[in-house]
Amino acid sequence: MEDRRAVRKRNSGERGLALLAALALGLYVVFLVLPLLLSLRSSFTNENPLKAQNDFIGFANYTEMAGDDQLKASLTFTLILAFGVTIAANALGVGFALLLNRTSLSYRVMRTVAFLPQVLSGVIVAFVWQTILTQNGLLNTALVKIGLLDEPYPWLGSPHAALFSIGLVVTWVMSGFTTVVYLAALQSIPLELHDMASLDGVRGTQRFRKITWPMLAPGTTISVTISLITVLKLYDIITVLTGGGPANSTQSTALYIVKLAFTSDRVGYASAVAMLLLGLSALVALTVTGVLRRREVSL
Amino acid sequence: MTTTSRDTRDRQAVGGRSALTPPPQPRPRQRITTRARVLVAAAVTLVFVAPIYLMLVNAFKPQDKILANPLALPWPPTLDNLTKALSRPDNLIPLGLRNSLIVAVISVALIVPLGSAFSFYISRRSGRVKAIILVALSAGLMIPPQVTLLPTIRILTWIGLDHSYPGLILANLGGGYLSFAVFVYVGFMRSVPDEIIQAARLDGASGLRIWWQIVMPLVRPATATVVIFLTLWIWNDFLNPLFILGPLQGQTITTGLYLTIGQYSVDYGQLFGIMFLAGVLPVIGYLTVQKQFVAGLTSGSAK
Repeated sequence: MEDRRAVRKRNSGERGLALLAALALGLYVVFLVLPLLLSLRSSFTNENPLKAQNDFIGFANYTEMAGDDQLKASLTFTLILAFGVTIAANALGVGFALLLNRTSLSYRVMRTVAFLPQVLSGVIVAFVWQTILTQNGLLNTALVKIGLLDEPYPWLGSPHAALFSIGLVVTWVMSGFTTVVYLAALQSIPLELHDMASLDGVRGTQRFRKITWPMLAPGTTISVTISLITVLKLYDIITVLTGGGPANSTQSTALYIVKLAFTSDRVGYASAVAMLLLGLSALVALTVTGVLRRREVSL
Repeated sequence: MTTTSRDTRDRQAVGGRSALTPPPQPRPRQRITTRARVLVAAAVTLVFVAPIYLMLVNAFKPQDKILANPLALPWPPTLDNLTKALSRPDNLIPLGLRNSLIVAVISVALIVPLGSAFSFYISRRSGRVKAIILVALSAGLMIPPQVTLLPTIRILTWIGLDHSYPGLILANLGGGYLSFAVFVYVGFMRSVPDEIIQAARLDGASGLRIWWQIVMPLVRPATATVVIFLTLWIWNDFLNPLFILGPLQGQTITTGLYLTIGQYSVDYGQLFGIMFLAGVLPVIGYLTVQKQFVAGLTSGSAK
């Protein structure tokens, strides 16, 4: 009698766990897999919320992309930003990590501070930088006052400067992340390795090239991949800083998709561009991870 | 890449000093370089945090002093910017903080049991189905949210939850956040010894009970990582609340700032006051759980 009740209780507990797991999987299917499929389906239609009826139009959206200059400009901007920021943020991250890789209190405080940009939301980060970079902002006011500039420079108002400014802000944010990853990687290098090197008289740049840099490889893989993916889907910082302007020059593909879908009501075409961004992210992530992983092995 | 022969050659080239020579004693010059190093590090760090410093000090300065010298310390400090930001008629700060808190806390409180139960269930199984499901889940970490945003809103409309907080929370539960939780938990659950679970099973404990009473306490560091990062990400999320909630449903702190701040762009005092109040909570949170924060990042990147 007693036993059977225990068994029944256990069975219900077994079912409870399976139920929770199924619920989690179900939510993932409904709010990630299904949207993905719907987006794919929509990319073959001329879906538009203002129209009563949507038709399948085959690959017309995809062929339209080939002649879309705004799309081409957005892809160029996105790729330049993604690779530029990734290179800059990882170089800064390695440098910063090497500089801060000491144990005394002052270095610990500095390490804490270095991660702060990652904690603030992109919206706040962008607003603070906007007060610095805007036409009559703090930077221009200061530069004009000390005589380095005769008149305010359009840091956010001309296409090239705006690309540079956004790159600067995003690099600033990403460096907090890369620094922490490289610090962790540095601390995982066995001390004996450094001892052996100094006994052999290997120091300075040579020690960095022969020991530190190769040993950082796993950290580099994760840091570079995450930097790239983050910038490819970045939305908040660009939206607040420039809104894609001036003249769409800082309109990333992520911004273009949202504009197509919500402002131009071209849902079908927006879905096709979204599929392109998804493919691009997957391609970049897989090739870069592949190349860097192989490098980890060969080093 | 580096072959052994090249290594030896380099060693010979540099190795004027043989391996038997004792390591050099610290010299006075080294003490100077140590001090110079701290100074360099401090200078670089200061330049790096300048924007955050600006946000901090200028929140306590009036407009004219900000323009006169944005880098100066706020002396005497004024609380005008903060009180003005808090007493805005649209209640931007209190409402935004409240809404963000509700969304983040409920989402995380639901993702943790869902993600960990799923991870426990699947990590006790083997075979191809498990592998496929885990790959499909980790793909969620990479999918740009812009790709799934519109269909997600449409699905929420079908079930009558579009432009609502339950809808936003529901979308949070199923998206990439769940992927992250599963990614972290599966990694940790691999290291839970099978014997413990077998023993508990022999004692008659059910799967639900083993998960909650034995496994969850063992993977507490994973829970810390998941809770900390998901709270931060959901708190800072901008795209989903902007479009899933829409402009009529009240704002989270991020969308509220975005939709109302334009008119204040000239009054820097006001702006910095609002930014300070909006940003201070996550910063305090980070400073309190900083150790787990870095540990979470480190363990995540070690995999």
